[in-house]
Amino acid sequence: MRFFRSTFEQSIALLLALVIGSLIIVGIGENPIVAYATLLDGAFGSPQRIAGTLLQSTPIMIAGMAACVAFRSGLFNIGVEGQLYMGGFAAALIGFSLPLPWFLHLPLAMIVAVIAGAAWIAVPAFFRARYNANEVVSTILLNYVAVLLTSYFTIFLFKRPGGWSETPPILESSMLPTLFEFSRLNYGLFIGLALAVGLHFYFLRTVSGFESGTMGSNQRYAEYGGVNIRAKIFRMMLVSGAIGGLAGGVETLGVHHRFMEGFAPGFGFDGVIAALLANANPLLTVITALFFGMLRSGSLLLEVDTTMSREIITVLQALIILCVSAQVRIGRRGDATAGERRWKY
Amino acid sequence: MEVLGDIFNISLLAATIRTTVPILLVALGGAFTTKAGIFNIGLEGMMLVSAFFAVLGSMYFGSAIMGVMAGMIAGMLTATLFALLVVTFRANEVVVGLAINILASGMTIALMNAIFGTRGSIISRDIVGLPPVHVPGASALGQVAQVFSGFTPLVYVAFLLVPVLVIFFGRTRLGLYIRVAGEKPEAAEALGISVARLQYIAALFCGALAGLAGAHLSLGYITMFTENMSSGRGFMAVAVLIFSNGDPLLVLAGCLLFGFSDALAVRLQTFDIPSYVVQTVPYLVTIAFLFAFAYRSRPRVFREIFDKVRPASGP
Amino acid sequence: MAETPYAIEMQGITKRFGKVVANRDITFAVRTGEVHAVIGENGAGKTTLMNILFGLLQPDEGTVKVAGEPVHLRSPKDAIRLGLGMVHQHFKLVPSLTAAENIFLGIEPQRYGLIDRDAAIAQVHALSERYGLRVEPTAIVRHLPVGIEQRIEILKVLVRGARIIILDEPTAVLTPQERRELFRILNGFVADGMTVIFISHHLEEVMEVSATTTVLRQGEVVDTRPTASLSKSELVRMMVGKDISFDRPAHAGKAGDPILEVSDLWARDDRGLKAVRDVSFEVRAHEIVGIAGVAGNGQGELAEVISGLRLPSHGAIRLNGTAIDAASPRAIRDIGLAHVPADRMERGVDRDAPIRLNMLMGRHHKAPWSRHGWLNSEAITATANDLVKRFDVRTDSVDRAVKTLSGGNIQKTVVAREFSQEANFLLVDQPTRGVDIGAMTEIHDEILRRREAGQAILLFSVQLDEILTLADRILVMFEGEIIGEVDPTTTTEEEIGLLMAGVRGDAAATQGSPGLPAGAA
Repeated sequence: MRFFRSTFEQSIALLLALVIGSLIIVGIGENPIVAYATLLDGAFGSPQRIAGTLLQSTPIMIAGMAACVAFRSGLFNIGVEGQLYMGGFAAALIGFSLPLPWFLHLPLAMIVAVIAGAAWIAVPAFFRARYNANEVVSTILLNYVAVLLTSYFTIFLFKRPGGWSETPPILESSMLPTLFEFSRLNYGLFIGLALAVGLHFYFLRTVSGFESGTMGSNQRYAEYGGVNIRAKIFRMMLVSGAIGGLAGGVETLGVHHRFMEGFAPGFGFDGVIAALLANANPLLTVITALFFGMLRSGSLLLEVDTTMSREIITVLQALIILCVSAQVRIGRRGDATAGERRWKY
Repeated sequence: MEVLGDIFNISLLAATIRTTVPILLVALGGAFTTKAGIFNIGLEGMMLVSAFFAVLGSMYFGSAIMGVMAGMIAGMLTATLFALLVVTFRANEVVVGLAINILASGMTIALMNAIFGTRGSIISRDIVGLPPVHVPGASALGQVAQVFSGFTPLVYVAFLLVPVLVIFFGRTRLGLYIRVAGEKPEAAEALGISVARLQYIAALFCGALAGLAGAHLSLGYITMFTENMSSGRGFMAVAVLIFSNGDPLLVLAGCLLFGFSDALAVRLQTFDIPSYVVQTVPYLVTIAFLFAFAYRSRPRVFREIFDKVRPASGP
Repeated sequence: MAETPYAIEMQGITKRFGKVVANRDITFAVRTGEVHAVIGENGAGKTTLMNILFGLLQPDEGTVKVAGEPVHLRSPKDAIRLGLGMVHQHFKLVPSLTAAENIFLGIEPQRYGLIDRDAAIAQVHALSERYGLRVEPTAIVRHLPVGIEQRIEILKVLVRGARIIILDEPTAVLTPQERRELFRILNGFVADGMTVIFISHHLEEVMEVSATTTVLRQGEVVDTRPTASLSKSELVRMMVGKDISFDRPAHAGKAGDPILEVSDLWARDDRGLKAVRDVSFEVRAHEIVGIAGVAGNGQGELAEVISGLRLPSHGAIRLNGTAIDAASPRAIRDIGLAHVPADRMERGVDRDAPIRLNMLMGRHHKAPWSRHGWLNSEAITATANDLVKRFDVRTDSVDRAVKTLSGGNIQKTVVAREFSQEANFLLVDQPTRGVDIGAMTEIHDEILRRREAGQAILLFSVQLDEILTLADRILVMFEGEIIGEVDPTTTTEEEIGLLMAGVRGDAAATQGSPGLPAGAA
């Protein structure tokens, strides 16, 4: 699936989004230049802050890879958020309950997170593959269920005695090692980067990846060319969900070391839009994920230093997507007429 | 049996009507875009923005009516943005819809913070809610009265809109043209009817009704605005629209089902079932419903069965 | 209003799309009260010209006069106001609406602000009767056959008060009998003083129905002449610019062993209706079997079933002796199928992918193009370059996206991919739909070469001339059944026409004049 035009036009659109964002900031009564400067300062102002940016980028990046896998195959997995919650919770469960040596414990916790993510998308995947049930709505709605359900588990079944709504902390043997003393930044970042490179080669160089991509751009042609569509849809959705689960696992095992209510607000969604913005290209998704991580990280300082709330960056993200989504060709009018468009979904 | 009696009684019916209305209003709005051939996943965001501005309008003007107007205008503006991108700039509908939802969520929180300096929700005595309408003479009917009297005005509006839309899509030019624009755009173009204009019109109607839905959320039974208070109702409406293809009567049927499951779930809460679990029920019902519909309309595998004696001949 | 014998005059019309000139300095006039044919090859600019006349496109240069008055047609509305009406090649009916709703779409009679259904129905009845266009006003269009849909399209034009009616390739979807019925209706219009502009690439129709003919070639007017003064071969020369022989190419080989065997095959369409009924036939090595029929009589479903894209509801298919009726498309390809699909853009290519990947689709998973699940770029590019050369696909690089190619070259890409497979059975569905005459000839030659090479070929085409030129045996499909088999060397168009219309039996018995129907496209 291709959503957007060329990189040049995307840059123009990005600029436009920042300008509109400035107008909104002015409307709120703040100075946009100060705001953007504060964002940058918050994101890059010190080694700690840079590490913070990378820390915020990590789950967005992995979630973005989950979305890439689905989008490239012509499938809309908007439920990465839910898979992330399930993965995060499952990893915590393994992390605090099983005393194992680290070389077993950490991989096991990751694998269970992956399985939880895949399991969470399995039913929508089955109905999409077998009966062509719309996956956009089913995966979105499951996000709500995942958040509620993990909260319920946490508060009613696995609550840390005496604690707030959170599970007991995971054992050290299941933790992802951190990279620096001064930050919670951990090896999860490299998992994200490795996934991006892996997916890049998968889509470009492998038979299976070629078939997935072909299915994404013309399903009937892929079917004609010998691709087993149903199996492929099911598999690719499971893989997408599995990576979503991994994003949650990394967040639990690397950052929070426990599962708690509202533990990763919006990372899944950010991943989805990072992938959208990157046109579902895994390597570009790394960049867009870093960009969104920067916004998130910078927004913390924004909230401290100005009267703005950090949600202003959510607005900015949405504006960027909206501006970039417009299929405007610079210099020449679009050539498709209304009749050529496919309106049916 | 007594337990069942406690659950299934006349007030459950009244509760169903109450929970149905917000989904119904937004789904009827979505009927316009669905008929116009646009898959509108942005309903959720349109509704949320409207809920916020309805509260704002109500406080500013000190009038519930003005609040509803403000909500409708906000919904229509959001819908215009949606149409601008999807129709004029030919952006991917799902992408724009998602972005609209994200924008709505972020913007309402940011504005809430900027205007009220609070997080979470806006609660104020200055918010004027919609007054309940008491149908004259209803009290004479005792218990039964609660299923048609005492609701806020938008409840009646929602149910009245169903037949209005049936007539609109079946018997008026505009309604017919919107259907044509969605089903066979080249037919509309060939007759000199602008598909883009019809889609804008449909989007505006959609925004207006989503606006009513939002206003109903924040000025109906509770008079407050809460972060992300639309809580997936817009997506449930999309599920209804997939199943109904925008036919108003089917929309009503689908929304009643979801409203009922919602009301039932709330009822279950009194049985000591944690609210976290109870709250998942409407989502799960919607998903199950979506899957059941997909299963029903699946491509079937046929086998011909022949009468051995007579050579086969088909219908 | 100036007195003029002409209903329409087009003067110096030029229309460009980017670098392509679709119409160049076109000048011709249509006399009031007659059928005027505009004939030309696919891509000669007929449809563009008519879209200009109907206000759907604006010319870059030139003027249009209606009844002697220069007019500026900004949209179809302007054209309709001036009494023009257009029946499009692809019907623009709305499937979920009734016949009457479709006919009055845009000009619905109203009462109290609502659409007055009764008035619409009454008017449809009246018009139906007057011109012998029988249509049931309350029928939902989705359920109607194509012939009726065309009547609805014509009624649509009539209720708008058209006195000048443009028909764009109106016979492509009709049986010869329905075609005759249409001509009867058109003659009725002319008798009523109306003017008809008839666009076609079919010589015989033009000779049969029109009084005057304008020939277009490559966007230019070749000539406008009274039809009676033209001979068929003269018309062809004008259309194509050179002599074209209609001879069937000689075929030396003798049909060999059966490669594809289909027996008692049934299949349903997407709506669950029976689309293929009790079909049995075989295709042998060294043989081209043609399937003729009006579009939509089960050919599409039959092709899908054979290629594994649709499950049959009954019956057996064997390819090279192996049962394939429940096999996957890939398995069937492995057993020996190559398949040129009917709609190249829908099934035949990934328009955004480069030519080289499109060239190898279907065998990309085999060595040397891939090894252990990894694609081998060098091998793919080498093979693609080789195929581009062998099949004369006009492009400067195999890295270009397929969508940058012209329709004919996209079709050649598909043909190159499929004909170069190691398959002994070729399923060729509408191989030359919408391609220019050059590409068509090349594709036809390639099909004949495959036969000489010993492959078995099943050719589906709605273009009768194509089947008559290429096939060794012709099966005619009607409503899902094979209603008859004819020998192309001895059959007549009349005989096939009756079969296509569902008239079976001895009435259509083979006996014959060897005359071939002409028609270059």
